[in-house]
This record gives sequence, structure tokens and C-alpha cells, in this order.
Amino acid sequence: MSLIDEDEALIAAALNGSAYAWEKLVKRYESKIYNHGLRLMGNSSDAMDLMQEVFLGVYRNLHRFRGDAKFSSWIFRIAHNKAVDLHRRKRLLSTQTRIGDQDETDILESIPGESNLEPDKLVGDQLRNKEIIAMLGKIPIEQRLIVELKIFQSQTFEQIADMQDISENTAKTRFYTALKKLKVVSEENNVLS
Amino acid sequence: MSCPKTEHLLQEYFSDDLAPLAKDEMENHLHSCEHCSTELETLIMAQSSLNEWQDQRVPHWDRGMELFRREHRVSNSGFSFWNKLQWVPTAASFAMLAILLLNVNVVSSDEGVSISFGGNANQDSSLNSRLLAFQQEQEEAIDALVQRIEDRQDSNNIELLQAVMEQTQQTTAENLDIIYAFFEQQRLQDLEDMRVGYQELVDSDYATIRSLQQIAQFVSYQGDIR
Repeated sequence: MSLIDEDEALIAAALNGSAYAWEKLVKRYESKIYNHGLRLMGNSSDAMDLMQEVFLGVYRNLHRFRGDAKFSSWIFRIAHNKAVDLHRRKRLLSTQTRIGDQDETDILESIPGESNLEPDKLVGDQLRNKEIIAMLGKIPIEQRLIVELKIFQSQTFEQIADMQDISENTAKTRFYTALKKLKVVSEENNVLS
Repeated sequence: MSCPKTEHLLQEYFSDDLAPLAKDEMENHLHSCEHCSTELETLIMAQSSLNEWQDQRVPHWDRGMELFRREHRVSNSGFSFWNKLQWVPTAASFAMLAILLLNVNVVSSDEGVSISFGGNANQDSSLNSRLLAFQQEQEEAIDALVQRIEDRQDSNNIELLQAVMEQTQQTTAENLDIIYAFFEQQRLQDLEDMRVGYQELVDSDYATIRSLQQIAQFVSYQGDIR
């Protein structure tokens, strides 16, 4: 059974009231959505908010999922829209962005206690992630969204253009501009370190 | 040293579907243009630095399970066979309550089954006739029973009266004997008392005579002296 078929089977079971199927479906995608949120929102608290909103949206609209597209595409489209909404709401609340200026305890708090990974490697990964979040925090949300979709979600510019309701060329330009900006930030970081 | 082609070229480099011919042209240009190749290299480095991202573990959360369970318990009653039948005990209770409160009568006869509500409901005619027959039968049986009890009671009364009378006669005779014996005893005692009285009287008479004799002797003695 392929992953897609399994997704559809889980969706059907969840629609029939199977809590087990729903939990399995959530478990399958929660990590991707949470990390997606971390990169876009810049901190675990907002990433959790985003993830919960995404799965609430998925739950509310599960009966509308037709199976025309892959479930993963569908859920990331919801995640994308929720991220845009959440970012807009946050910007209205506070003009200062929290991207790259996170709570210092975040790294230690997010280390899972039962992990089998070596602590040094884990902290190293967390630091690298923090650097990436800091870099992404230097570019506008529109560009950050395209970088996220292109690099982390491996979507085509056509898909990105469709999702963001922009032209394909605009998507390409934004991506290129974002990369140039990231290059500058990366160079600054290297100089500083 | 800048290159006018850089921006357009590098934008196209990251395109998804670059035509083979355009790709060859790009490769040729990148080989010949140091500015573009350096620029591309730094962009790829920036891109690869992002690819170092390591997925972080999701903090604990309930995965919407509470919401899911709550909503499906309320809205999706067809979850399992037993859930479907959960209303049965309640419905049965209400049905029993209704039967009790409305005093429902269910009558099964040869003509079928009839159901009526309330205590004063019109009864089936056949049921009425059967009830009348039953009542008559019962009355006759009771009358016969009463007659038998009366007869038995009469005979019992006579026997009892006889027994009582016999007992009374006997007792009366015994009582008369006792009274007679008492009277006899009293009579004997009176006779004895009378005999004693007479004896005492006789004795006192003797004493009186003796006294008189003594007085006479004294008187004659005194006369002699004078």
C-alpha cells in the first residue's frame, strides 16, 4: 500500500469516527508542519499555534478533501494560508518581528528527554536550525514563503504561483531576490563568526 | 566586473524546466563569465546552508484528539453496533412508564388483540359476557358455600348448647349437694350450741338454788341468833 493510498484510507476511517486513524494521520504530518511553522514563524510557540490551527483546519475540512490532489499538497496549502494569516495577525499586534530574536531557552527546552541522539549532535542541530531561522528572519515573509515552498517543500514555480496567486515569473524573481539576500546574510554571519 | 545577463540567467538557472538548448547556452556562459559563475556559487551555498535544516521534534500536544472524540461522540452515533443500540434501555423504560401511567389494557381473544387506555375504557363485549358468567358462577359457589357453613354452624351450636346445658346441670347438682351439706353442718353445729347453752343454763340454775339455800340458811341462822 502506497503512502497516498494509506493517507486516503486513514482519512476515510477518520471521517467514520476512528480516533486511531485521525491520530495516525496527524502523527504522519505533524513534524513536517511543525518544522514548516518553525522556519516561517521563527519560534516554537508560534509554530505550535500554527500547527494546531492547521490540524484544526484539516479536521474541519476533511470531508471536503476530494482526493484530486495529494493529501500532503492539500495540507501544505492549508499550512501556507494559515501561516500568512497568522503572520498578518502578529504583525497587526506588534510591529516588531520576533524572527531571529527568539527566547534564549528555546534550544534547551526543545531537546526531547527520551531521544537516543547524542546531546552534542542534538545541540549542534538546534544551533544550525537557529542560524537558519535567523537568516530567514532577515527576508520578508513573501520571499520566505517562496524559499520555504521551493527549497523545503520542493515545489515547482508553477505550483508556488498557483498557491500564492501570483505569476510564475514573480515567483522566480522573488526566489532569486530571496537567495541573494540570504547570501548576503550568510556572508555577514561567516564574517562575524 | 559585472554582467548584464546575471539576473536573468540565474533566475532561469533555478527554474524547474529549462529547455535543453537554453541549458547549454547557460553552461557556456557560466564557463566564460566569472561574475555569473561566482554569483551562482554563492547562491548555491546559501541554498545549501538552508538544506542543513534538521527536523526538530514536535513538543507534546494532544493532536486534536479531545476535539475529535468529543465531536464524534456527539455527532457520529453510528460509530459501532453497540452505540447504535444505546437508546434501547431508555426507550424501554419510557415504554414501561407509559404503560403504567396510562393503564394500558392488552386483551387477547379469539378475535385478535385489543389495546385500551385508562381504567374505564369500554370493554370488549365478549369479555363482558365472560365476566358476567364468571361473576354468576362465583356468586353461586359463594351461596352454596354460605349455606354449607350455616348448616354446619347450626349443628355445632346445638351440640354446644347441649354440652353447656349438661355441664350446667351437673354443676348445679353439685352445687346443691354442697349447699345441703353446708346446711346440715350448720344444723348440727346449732344443735351442739343449743345443748351447751342448755347445760350452762342448768348449771346456773343449780348455782342459783344453792345460793338461795345458802341465803335461807343464813337467814335462819340469823333468826336463831336473835
